[in-house]
Parts: sequence; C-alpha cells; structure tokens
Amino acid sequence: MTATPAVVPTTLAPGPRQRTRLSSWLDRRFYVLATVPALAVVTAIIAVPLVIGIYLSFTNYTPVRPTFSWGGLVNYDQVYNSPTVHAAIKNTAIFAGAGIVIEMIFGLFFAVLLARKLRGVSWFRVIYMMPLLVPGVASSVAWSVLFNDGNGWINYFASVVGLPQLNWAGGAHTAMPTVIIANAWAGIPIITIILLAGLLSLPKDPVEAARIDGASELRVLYHVTLPALRPVLAFAALFQMVNLFREFAEFAIITGGGPGLATSVLNYYVYQTTFVFGELGLGAALAVVLVFLMAVPLLVIFKLSKRGAAPKWAS
Amino acid sequence: MAVDDLVAPGAVSRASSPTGAAPAPRRRPPPRRLRRRAGNIFTVVALLIGAAFILLPIFWIVTTAFKPPGEAFVLPPKFIFTPTLSNFGSLLSGQYNQYVQDIGHSLIIMAISVGIALLLGVPAGYGLARSRFKGSGAITGWLIVAYIVPALVYIVPLYAIYQRLNLSGSYLSVILYYLTFELPFVVFMMRGYFSDLPNDLEDAARVDGCSRFSAFRRIMLPLAIPGLSTVTILACILSWGEFFGALIFTGSSNMTAPVAIEEYMGQTTLDWSTLAAAAVFLVVPVLVLAAFVQRGFLRTAVSATQG
Repeated sequence: MTATPAVVPTTLAPGPRQRTRLSSWLDRRFYVLATVPALAVVTAIIAVPLVIGIYLSFTNYTPVRPTFSWGGLVNYDQVYNSPTVHAAIKNTAIFAGAGIVIEMIFGLFFAVLLARKLRGVSWFRVIYMMPLLVPGVASSVAWSVLFNDGNGWINYFASVVGLPQLNWAGGAHTAMPTVIIANAWAGIPIITIILLAGLLSLPKDPVEAARIDGASELRVLYHVTLPALRPVLAFAALFQMVNLFREFAEFAIITGGGPGLATSVLNYYVYQTTFVFGELGLGAALAVVLVFLMAVPLLVIFKLSKRGAAPKWAS
Repeated sequence: MAVDDLVAPGAVSRASSPTGAAPAPRRRPPPRRLRRRAGNIFTVVALLIGAAFILLPIFWIVTTAFKPPGEAFVLPPKFIFTPTLSNFGSLLSGQYNQYVQDIGHSLIIMAISVGIALLLGVPAGYGLARSRFKGSGAITGWLIVAYIVPALVYIVPLYAIYQRLNLSGSYLSVILYYLTFELPFVVFMMRGYFSDLPNDLEDAARVDGCSRFSAFRRIMLPLAIPGLSTVTILACILSWGEFFGALIFTGSSNMTAPVAIEEYMGQTTLDWSTLAAAAVFLVVPVLVLAAFVQRGFLRTAVSATQG
C-alpha cells in the first residue's frame, strides 16, 4: 500500500506550539549543546591540571621551599640521574610486560572456552565477571592475607602438595610474581570478558563453513576466528595495558613497593615522591615521564593490530 | 541421494523404517563426536580450575568474616565452623568504630559524583551518538585521551591547586576528582548505547512535531533506561571501589571505606576476621548489584569494543 499524498502535508504541519526563533536556533544545535557541559567539565578538571602539571614539572617546588619558581630542567635532570627511578622504570616494564602476556594468553584461553555452547556455561560466565566488579582494595587485602608467609592459605596448599613454602610478598625475588598473580586475578577476567563479547558477536557462517569443510576446532580457531577477532584483541590489550600502568592498590597493600625497591613501579614511586615526601615538582616530572613511557607499548600494540587487517566479513 | 538411487528397489521398505540407517553410527560413535566430548570435558575442567582461582579471595573474605575471631589464623583452614556476627560487632564498636561513618562518606561521594556524571554525561553521549557534527570526532578523541592518561598526571597538579584554594580534604575536591573518570565513562557507554537504538524513532517523533530536545527526553531517554541503569550501576561500582584518589584527597572527616581498610592493614594489632568483615561491605553490595546488570554487562562490553 502506498501512502496517499494527502497524508504527508498534515504530518509535516507545524507543531501545536509556535516556536520562537531562539528556541529553534537552540534546537537545531541540540546535539552540539548537549555535549558542551560535559566537555567543559572534563576539560576543566583534566586539561587545565594537565597543563599546570607540565608547568609544575619545571619548577623547583619542594617541601622545604614550597614556591612555584621556574627551575628549568632540574627535576628532569634528577629523574634522568636517579638510580631509584631507573629501578622503578625497569620494574614497571617487568610488571606490565609479564602481566600483559600472561593475561592475554589466559584471557583468550578462557574466552574461547566460555564462548562454546555448553550446558552450564552461563554460570561460568557470571563467575568470570566477578573480578571486574570487586574493588581492588578488597581483593588486594584478600591476596595479601592468602600469600602471608606464616598463616596464609597459599603456603598451606603448597605444603600439602609438597611444594616449597615461600615468603611471597617479603622475598626479593617472589614479591613481583606475587603482585603479578594478584593482578592476573582481575586482569585475566577483564580480557576474557572483552574477548568473549567479541567472539559472541562474530558472524557464525564462516565458522560453520569451515567446519563443514572438515576443519578441526583448533584449525577453525586459528585460521578463521582469531584473524577476525584481531581488532578486539588489540582493544583488550590496549585497555589492559593502561590498567597495568596505573595499578596502585596491589602495590600499596600487598608489598608497599618493597622489599627494598623490588616492586617499586613508577606509578607507586610517583605517589610516594609526591604525596608522602611532598616533592611536588619532581613528582610532576615523573608523571610526565610515565605518560611517555606508557605511550610506547600502546603504540606498539596499535601498530601490530594494524598489520594485516581483519578479514572483511568480521567487520 | 545417489545411494537412494542405487538401492531403488528397496527404497520403499527403507523409507518405512526411518531408524534403518541409524544403528551403525550409534553403536560406534565417529571419532569426531568422541573428540567433541573430550573437548567438552577439557572445557569444563579448565573452567572449573579458573573459577576456583577467581572464587578463592572472595571465598576467603566471606568465610573469614563469619569465623570466630582467632580461627582466621588456624591452619589447615577450617571450612566448617559455627558462623558468628561478632566481627561485625567489633566494626560497630571499639577500635574500628569509624568504619560505619566511612561507609557513609563513600555513599555520599558516590551519590553526588555519579549523579553529576549522569546529568552531564547522558546528554553528551546522546549528542555524540546522534550526529556527526564538526568536531565530534575530536571530542570523542579528547575523551579517550582523558580516560587513558594516568590519573597521576593531573592528580599531582590538582593536589597543588586544592592546597592553594584551601579545598584539601573537602568533599568537593574528591567529587571533582571522581568526575575525571566517571564522566568520560558515562559519555562513552551512553554513546555506544544510543548508537544501537534505531534512528527512525527519533525521526518519527520529529516528523510529528517534537523538538530534538523533547524527542530525546520523551522518546529516546525512556528507551535507553535498560542501558542507563547498567551504566549507572557500573559507575557506582567504579566510585565505590576507587582507592587512589580517595587516599590522596580525603581527610579523616570524609575518609572512604577502601582507605579505611588500607589503614587497618597497616596496623600491627590487625585481626584478620575484622578486616574480612570490613571487606565484606566492599564486596557484597557490588556482587548483589552485579546480579542486576549481569545480562546488560556483556552487551555493554560488546558495544564498547565496537565503538
């Protein structure tokens, strides 16, 4: 049935209320105007401090001399020559590097399993979502106690199975692995859920076609599913890399950056410098350095994800 | 079909007994099915191991909170015990009696900051989803950058600014900081959600004489309520668990629950049962809320990865 021409003009007739010129001008710009307040606030509370922070990093503000006087590169000079900063950069690289590799491998593994059609799989999906929601302080406290060298459950389980009992958070060589495990507890599920969402939204036809052609499940995964999942894999890696760089609660609660400098990552070190020791200028310079260091892995992941685009059918 | 043609003489009698061809594969399953079953068993076992790892800390918190004080240290861990509420009692009185107030501070900060984030963020998400005006790409990009930049970069100067303006330790200082992550989060999530809603509805409302604003308020906003509630709950969870900013910006008069727990960790006379009871207040409300968003959560993740 086609609409009769008589209907069209009536629906296009002006609304019951006569609009003023101003309100119609406002209405034409509604979409832009709707974004203005949020944009203004975000800019005020992020961009303005960001600029001030960069300025702060060039001042010699110290707790002894709390003035915002221009100090040139004095803070950056200190950052460049400080062995503790070098240790913090190295620790950050170890933590983020090991963390992202472990979490991506296990995250993908569990996502593929959770995407299978299986009875009871939805229960597992609910469990695997939990760590995304549990506050980091609560899980850090639990891991801190579980890894306690005297009365912790982990050492007890280890003794039952016949493994050595370790001074987890207190050992120079075990402290970093302890934090990495505690971080993986939240990081693996984050990647699992992002990848699961990606897997479930992929079109089913190419997978079924490959199956009918006789490809095994593993071959389908490797040759069909994973190439199609590439953009989501990149998104998950980028998202989690950011989280790894700004992890704080686990270091503050489980190790306190110790023993010695063993788990002193940049983010935690800046916190100590700025808010415990009051070195605002140095802290601001370190924060700027942190941003540039973080940009490196993000750009690498971004470049890797662009090499060889995902097959057309997946987008 | 070719086989049917060859055995044409017997075809009629075969067709009358449809089970005729079935017995052979049923007796000896093809390797493919066997492999599938083995795969299923492997899947369940692997998922169970992962689930045990995930549930371990949650299990520790919940059981220890209800154990009689002192039994928290006992090894091997007691899985059967008479549950007691005495740990929650010691949170209400004695050494840790500030905790209830700290939860109150967390709630105040959460309510106000999430409220502002929704008020500003939902229209912004709608505006960015509905039209590609000049600069909308730049705005989205700026919000991504704002979300990615480590909080430290603007926490350090914010701290200095707050000191100058005598805002240190005030609610305003904490809430402004919380908006730095809640607001971009709400804008993003709502942008994704509104882009999934069909354009036609808004167009139809406009043809019927609605202004863009009233089409948003009367048609699109009510339609977005499922997404809106998911985003609200997630923003509340973000605020509830936030630790870093709270540690820096709150004082003793408005300390939040996570900061309080971190303080207990530093005390030498710490008793694990009370600590676990305090952690229950952080974890259990979140898991209860999560039960409501469970369905929307995967959907939200999908639209976030695609946006």
